[in-house]
Amino acid sequence: MAVLTAKFPELVAAGLPQNFFHNRKNPDCVQSNGAFCVGWAVDNFHTYVGPALKQATMVSVSVAAGFAIAMALALLSHRYGKLVPPLTGFTGILYTVPSLAFFALLIPITGFGTETAVIALSAYTLQIIYRNIVTGLANVPAGAKDAGRGMGMSSRQLLWRVELPLAVPEIIAGLRVATVSTVALATLAFFAGAGGLGEKIYTQLNFKTNIILAGGLAMLMAIVFDGLLVGLGRAVTPWRRHRAPPILEALRRLRRSV
Amino acid sequence: MTVTLLHLALPLGSVLNSFSDAVDFILHPQAAQTGGTEVGGVGYIWPFVRTHLEVSGLALAGSLVVSLPIGLWLGHRGRGELFAVALGNAGRAVPELAVIAFLAAFIGVGLQNVTIALMVLGIPPILTNTFVAVRQVDPDAVQAATGMGMRGPQVLARVELPLAASTIMSGVRTAAINIVATATIAPLAGVSTLGELILGRDVYGSDGVLAGAILVALLALIVELTLAGLQRLVTPRGLILQRASAGA
Amino acid sequence: MEASNSADAAAEALPVAFRRVTKRYPGASRPALLGLDLEVPSGEICVFVGPSGSGKTTAMRMVNRMVEISEGDILVGGRSVRDRTPAQLRREIGYVIQQIGLFPHRTVLDNIATVPRLLGWDRERTRARADELMELVRIDPELRDRYPPQLSGGQQQRVGVARALAANPMVMLMDEPFGAVDPINRERLQNEFLRLQAEVRKTILFVTHDIDEAIKMGDRIAVLREGGRLAQYATPAELLMAPADDFVEDFVGADRALKRLSLMRVADIDLWQAPLAHVGQATSEVRAKLPGAEVPHALVIDAERRPLGWLSDADLLGETVPPRPDTRPDPVLELDDVMRDALSDLLQAETRYAPVVDADGRIAGVLSVEIISEFLTSPEALTEEHDAAGRPLV
Repeated sequence: MAVLTAKFPELVAAGLPQNFFHNRKNPDCVQSNGAFCVGWAVDNFHTYVGPALKQATMVSVSVAAGFAIAMALALLSHRYGKLVPPLTGFTGILYTVPSLAFFALLIPITGFGTETAVIALSAYTLQIIYRNIVTGLANVPAGAKDAGRGMGMSSRQLLWRVELPLAVPEIIAGLRVATVSTVALATLAFFAGAGGLGEKIYTQLNFKTNIILAGGLAMLMAIVFDGLLVGLGRAVTPWRRHRAPPILEALRRLRRSV
Repeated sequence: MTVTLLHLALPLGSVLNSFSDAVDFILHPQAAQTGGTEVGGVGYIWPFVRTHLEVSGLALAGSLVVSLPIGLWLGHRGRGELFAVALGNAGRAVPELAVIAFLAAFIGVGLQNVTIALMVLGIPPILTNTFVAVRQVDPDAVQAATGMGMRGPQVLARVELPLAASTIMSGVRTAAINIVATATIAPLAGVSTLGELILGRDVYGSDGVLAGAILVALLALIVELTLAGLQRLVTPRGLILQRASAGA
Repeated sequence: MEASNSADAAAEALPVAFRRVTKRYPGASRPALLGLDLEVPSGEICVFVGPSGSGKTTAMRMVNRMVEISEGDILVGGRSVRDRTPAQLRREIGYVIQQIGLFPHRTVLDNIATVPRLLGWDRERTRARADELMELVRIDPELRDRYPPQLSGGQQQRVGVARALAANPMVMLMDEPFGAVDPINRERLQNEFLRLQAEVRKTILFVTHDIDEAIKMGDRIAVLREGGRLAQYATPAELLMAPADDFVEDFVGADRALKRLSLMRVADIDLWQAPLAHVGQATSEVRAKLPGAEVPHALVIDAERRPLGWLSDADLLGETVPPRPDTRPDPVLELDDVMRDALSDLLQAETRYAPVVDADGRIAGVLSVEIISEFLTSPEALTEEHDAAGRPLV
């Protein structure tokens, strides 16, 4: 959507129309490094599928792991409120370290390969997911909590039946941001020895078509993951279907996600 | 999984060894892996650090110059919400490597072009956050100001901006992190930042790579902490107290 | 279904007893509640009323241990509330709060079914009970699959009450349950709730800061003062007639009520009717009229229907109605009397009932303090007011 609209002006500016009107199999396009060689792209598309899948897998595993850890930390913080500032600081520091450096720092400890990449990528997701879970739980209406406890729910029942379900929208928002960011970051996973679309970019760094294809696939992946999470969010929160979110609500959500 | 466990079970000593070697690399010149030239040492590394800061600073400044006015104006007028939201989302989805490579391939290498590439990553968070920040300003405060006779730009400068400053700074921080991080791969586009060390395993050896990583991490942390401090400075005291009492 | 009649329901309700209950919060100079000692008979509504800081909500919340007792004990049905875990206790007590606190992520049905599910009821039983309750609180059963944000405030309130009643608790706690609703709907909800209570007859502890609501809703009222001390524990009528001290008097707002009374006449109110007896009538006839009468005493009237006096029990022992009954009819009020004066007369004479006569002195009905207090908290009080000169206000 917005992504595609963002890309088009660049392509047009780079002189796309000329190449498009060439013969598809025109070898000149590749030789002259035209903006986007459709022929080459079509022929070599299959070579991008593997790395793309690898990247998708890495992203899924990283976000899942990050979610699990962040949830554990958040539940702990729910019980012991004092943990929130130090944990927020800790996850923040992890997020600040640039990915390339993070990979390089991990390599002496975990070596080259997918694990290193996944560890680093998971670490990056912690800040946003943790923050969102904590905020989500904090925003549960006080009346619902009081009523739940007053009716005889134990703390655990209250948490799982009332607080967490009501925090889901916030959590999903955090997952969306985390996933999209991770897809982008995973493009660098190659530098940790984990392959992915970054490898395709790096091995043909100057070939425009390659960059567009690999980069475009990465962004497409991000859109798809985002869409899936939106769908998941809607499926899991049937009670929100019945009202159109007011502009301010959407704005609030955006604010929390930045 | 078992591989990771094995790696972690390796004596801590070997890890510490690597790190101390890296620190050594930072401080003392030594022979390159390829033999011949001398690499390492503060004098050798400093230009990388400087370049890293330079290109990041330029990009951040450029992003601010572009995003702030647009974000402020749109936020003040209350328009272009869809645009701001979409831009924020899209910005997050852009892979750094692709941006650097793309602009290098399409526009060319060099400081100027890398700066533009970095701005692509720096603009979305600042613009989106600025927009949201201004929109989130308590409408009562704005109304009161208008009611007292302030005109548009005055309201913006005296009321909306101070109240929005904190959130804008959040965006600046995010942009800064993105920029400093992406500057690490600027060497791919011909700009020798600290990434040079990390990407040049053949030349600098694992010590050099680790040295580069440590320095980049430190640099990023310093930038982040500085901006965090700045954010605190810029947030009006009243707002800090208000947020603290609301338990935000 | 099993529309439990009053007798059955009363068997389910349990009395609640406060035994010198004190609550101290750490760091607070004064206790939130000090030595509260009272009994709430089963099936009755006891209203805790008082200014903020009087500990009324604290007192109520100690019954289901949302607040822990510092000293003393609370007995529900003779059993200490400390006997079970808080969660177990609370599942047997209905709980309604001001914010209502419905779960926005659960349907109306699921909300109502909360406690039954906690208790492990099977699906069918839960569903049937939910339907029964929705009918009881007058919610369209079609709404059972809706979510709270889709309901109006009044509907949400009703679901909250239904939810509290779901597991047929022996005791109900209600903390300003109608506080979040506008005054007009509050009126309606109060009336509906009283109707409900007439059917289910639970023991209810009700908290409010509004003395009018207390008088309207309560069978008994506990007035608490700042510092958490009990000022008076009495029925509404006693409270109005005989406030224990200045604080209670101020709180009850005697002057406010009186002011309204100055604007009314006796004629503006619906009077009660007493069984009438003529001189020389057979007492057996009179006695037959007594059971079920609004006023449980017979009034003797003469041929012109003028009141002569009240028939005492002693009088009734005789064969016929004597011409001079034991109890004089005074004070005899007139329809044209200003209500304030009428009340004043009633209180001064320390009688419960006073005959009211029309301009010709003929009996029109009987006035009592209860009627006046009921009237003050009813909708009619807002209309049909005349000024002292007899002109209708409005």
